[in-house]
Amino acid sequence: MAETTLETAVADGGLGHSSDHGDHPTETAYWQVFAILAVLTAVEVLWSYLPLDGVALVVPLLAMMVVKFVLVAGWFMHLKYDLSIINGNVFTILFSFGLVTAVLVYIVMIAAFDFQI
Amino acid sequence: MAIIENETLALPSGDDPAVERPLGVFTRPRNQTGLKNWLTTVDHKKIGIMYGSAAMFFLLIGGLAALLIRIQLATPNNTFLSADAYNRIFTMHGTVMVFLVVMPIGAAFANYLMPLQVGARDVAFPRINAFSFWVFLAGGLMLNTSWFLGGGADGGWFNYAPNNGIIYSPSTGIDFWNMGLMIAGIGSLTGAVNLITTVLNMRAPGMTLMRMPVFVWMTLVTQFLLLFAIPVLTVAQVLLLMDRNFGASFFDVKLGADPLLWQHLFWIFGHPEVYLMILPAFGIVSEVIPAFARKPLFGYPFMVFSGIAIGFMGWGVWAHHMFVSGLGPLTVSGFAFATMFIAVPTGVKVLNWLATLWGGRLTLNTAMLFSIGLVTQFTIGGLSGVSHAIAPWDTQQTDTYYIVAHFHYVLFGGALFGFIAGFYFWWPKVFGYKLNEAHGKFNFWGMVLGFNLTFGPMHILGLQGMPRRMYAYDDAMGFNTWNMVATIGSFILAISTLWVLVNAFISYNRWKAAGRPDPGPDPWDARTLEWSVQSPTPEHNFDYTPVVTDLDDFWHRKFVEDENHRLKRVATGAELAQPGNAEGVHLPAPSYWPIVLAFSLPVIGYGVIFTLWLTIPGIVLMMVALFGWALEPADDPDVEGHHDGDDHEPEGSDGDDHELVGASS
Amino acid sequence: MTDLADDPVDAAAEPDAMKEPQEVVAAEAGAHSEHPETSLGLSNMKLAMWLFLGSECLLFGALISTFLLSKARFLSELVVGNPDVIEGLLPAEQVQTMADAGVRGTLSDLPYIFQEMAEVGSVEPIFDIPFTSFSSFVLLMSSLCMVLAHKATVDGDYKNQRIWLGATALLGSIFVGGQIYEFTAFYREGLTFGGSLFGSAFYTLTGFHGIHVTGGILMLVSLLILSFRGKLRSDRAETVELVGLYWHFVDIVWVLIFTIVYLIP
Ligand SMILES: [Cu+2]
Repeated sequence: MAETTLETAVADGGLGHSSDHGDHPTETAYWQVFAILAVLTAVEVLWSYLPLDGVALVVPLLAMMVVKFVLVAGWFMHLKYDLSIINGNVFTILFSFGLVTAVLVYIVMIAAFDFQI
Repeated sequence: MAIIENETLALPSGDDPAVERPLGVFTRPRNQTGLKNWLTTVDHKKIGIMYGSAAMFFLLIGGLAALLIRIQLATPNNTFLSADAYNRIFTMHGTVMVFLVVMPIGAAFANYLMPLQVGARDVAFPRINAFSFWVFLAGGLMLNTSWFLGGGADGGWFNYAPNNGIIYSPSTGIDFWNMGLMIAGIGSLTGAVNLITTVLNMRAPGMTLMRMPVFVWMTLVTQFLLLFAIPVLTVAQVLLLMDRNFGASFFDVKLGADPLLWQHLFWIFGHPEVYLMILPAFGIVSEVIPAFARKPLFGYPFMVFSGIAIGFMGWGVWAHHMFVSGLGPLTVSGFAFATMFIAVPTGVKVLNWLATLWGGRLTLNTAMLFSIGLVTQFTIGGLSGVSHAIAPWDTQQTDTYYIVAHFHYVLFGGALFGFIAGFYFWWPKVFGYKLNEAHGKFNFWGMVLGFNLTFGPMHILGLQGMPRRMYAYDDAMGFNTWNMVATIGSFILAISTLWVLVNAFISYNRWKAAGRPDPGPDPWDARTLEWSVQSPTPEHNFDYTPVVTDLDDFWHRKFVEDENHRLKRVATGAELAQPGNAEGVHLPAPSYWPIVLAFSLPVIGYGVIFTLWLTIPGIVLMMVALFGWALEPADDPDVEGHHDGDDHEPEGSDGDDHELVGASS
Repeated sequence: MTDLADDPVDAAAEPDAMKEPQEVVAAEAGAHSEHPETSLGLSNMKLAMWLFLGSECLLFGALISTFLLSKARFLSELVVGNPDVIEGLLPAEQVQTMADAGVRGTLSDLPYIFQEMAEVGSVEPIFDIPFTSFSSFVLLMSSLCMVLAHKATVDGDYKNQRIWLGATALLGSIFVGGQIYEFTAFYREGLTFGGSLFGSAFYTLTGFHGIHVTGGILMLVSLLILSFRGKLRSDRAETVELVGLYWHFVDIVWVLIFTIVYLIP
């Protein structure tokens, strides 16, 4: 039941946590995650001002967006601790159903529009 | 024998029951019977019955609309209805039948049966369950008040843009369609969350996922489809609402909008919708056929996984409704291909039912006949449907009566026949008496005759080129004969469908005259847990939580196999059934808030349509209801057996605060 | 979140994935799980909340897709100087005057901001990125306060619980305030709700998000009231966690909106 910092949580891959309540990150870990989020946001904004276009502009921005998404969902929403044998990833699976369905369906929809393929 | 249980099986949050008196303006309703009890109940069985009754009421409206359509089309150049009235009537016929008849009958069965079949005492969130029903009813009633407030919607049940815009449809019909369905959609969404949680988390010990009855599986898949499909429709309707009522320009072609956006969003919702209408009926016949074939369901895992496969693949085929809308060749081929593939799991189901029937000792009673009716007629509808995966063929048939014939074979010949099979099968469990078999046979054969006379000829009419949604056709077009046949058939169909209700009435009176004989807990010698309790189901469902060790556990407790693999009866259902006499079982308390919250929404809806001032009392009422709900414990502290708490350690609300979430979306 | 990339068909293996943990839970019931009476050993409430959030993905996905399509259509028409689109952006009286004079709208009739949009082929000129970056930062900060409020509740530190709940609600209100300011500023620059596809889609998408934030603030205030009345003890930490889940989800949606709507041209 030791408290978990960001580092140890990364190190043990979230395994070994026994309940959906017991082990949540420490305050330190929360602040660390927030710091990363803030830095990523700053980098995103700076990146958007760089004289880039096309893939070089968009792909890093989307990548940073995904990382932010994962950080909030994993640490603040505790999905990281859902990824364990005990919890059976249930919350993650249920949420991913919606997320994956949305991403796939809407990408196909936009593709059907934009490229007239 | 009965184990008296104080465990609060139905408490949603796992919290200790609160002991403080509620802060709401209402004292808790206590009535066990009467109108007030029905209005405030949180019992999943009563809610299931109310879903069914409301759906029957809407079936009368939708059926009446159907007859008006058929009268208008009986003869060429008929003037019985004006073009405008005809538009409204066929639009409302489709909308009512889809959203207010087929979907809620599915919800009725899911509500009543699913908790029983998984061995639960109620659903996970009983008050939200009541809310789901009332908000469906509120939305449905609001939609139907449009008949008196300027006429119903007139753009077809899918209301394509830009025809649904204020320019082409200036009356308020489509606004009612918008608001009514959005409100009913909230009920579908909360219902889906509730029922999925129940299936996943409220199963009796030993009831693993692969021991659940197929009906429960189909309910699970259905509710997942609802969970993800409803928000897509809601967004489409919000866009339309913004366009029509707040001057937005999402579908304004002049400003560069692409009205295909509506078609895409509608069918992303619409195709899963088709499956979530038929899957509950599939679940029902998967229970009925084994019971009367005296065999286990053939290929249970295939049934389950084909249902799941349909659930997933149903998301990847929506554009087959749009083949003529100018999609690119790659899109058309991709969706055509996916559509051909989705026929595979559906075919697996049909084959499994046939294999279950094969070699069984069949009892051809009414429930069984209706199930076989589903298998037969759905297969016809499925075959005419999958042929539309061939895009050129689809292009030929689009917007003709061939399509009308196809989806009625699926939804009437399939879904509704399955539901009626379910009525005959579970009627004794729900109401304590069996429906009459002679009237049932009349009911069935009348419906088969009427149904095929009505919709069979529409295949021919469609191939001859008769378009849908036209209010009149010319004498010389060669449509006369088959239209007349279809109209005659529709009246046979209407009368014989009504016979379900006539039969219920007649059977009830005969049962009463005979001194209300007990049908017994297990009148069909069936397989699932709901037959292990008395009929009608006691209010607390189970005296003690059943422990499950097998698929079809109840059956396996009645029969064992001898050394020659022959079934040998070791007990009857009546011997094994729980006596239903448990006392002190703790049940969730009734509440006023679900119905109050539900009926605050149409007030807002009317406000959006007529005058925004009306939204203010609506929103106030909604907020009051939300806070009243949140502050009211799920349990009534004044009910006996719950004075064990300490009033000095206040516990606050029941953790239902997240209800606020629903309101904000 | 490693499952994100999984093919949904793989997830059809769900029955097995769920069956196993259930047995494990049954074996260890009582020792660890706080919800031994449920089949999965998980809280009904949290299960329901995650289902609801999964459903919200479809809702916001549809709104974001609508925005992307509408923006693209708007820009392609604006760049070629479609007079209908231009007149949509102008006040009705001005359009009437022009119609009376027998002329159609041209790009030069538009407020400067739209001319710039047409020039660069992007809606970027209207956005105030530093301001929105600040709003995004505020919302991220509020998410931090939310988890700290939950942590304080679990630890039974009710003073900090109130501080962090209050801070979350306050930061949320600043965000909503910022959004109202932004809407007014855009409106003044000529971006009306109904005048263009871009306006309709932008206000609807961000407005929907704003309504979600407002709902969250209401929930937070309710929690704060409960806390001051001594009814939000550590045994009810799950209530705080549920509101937190909702709040973080709304934050995540903003992470998406910020990148997709504001930063990517
Ligand atoms: Cu379809």
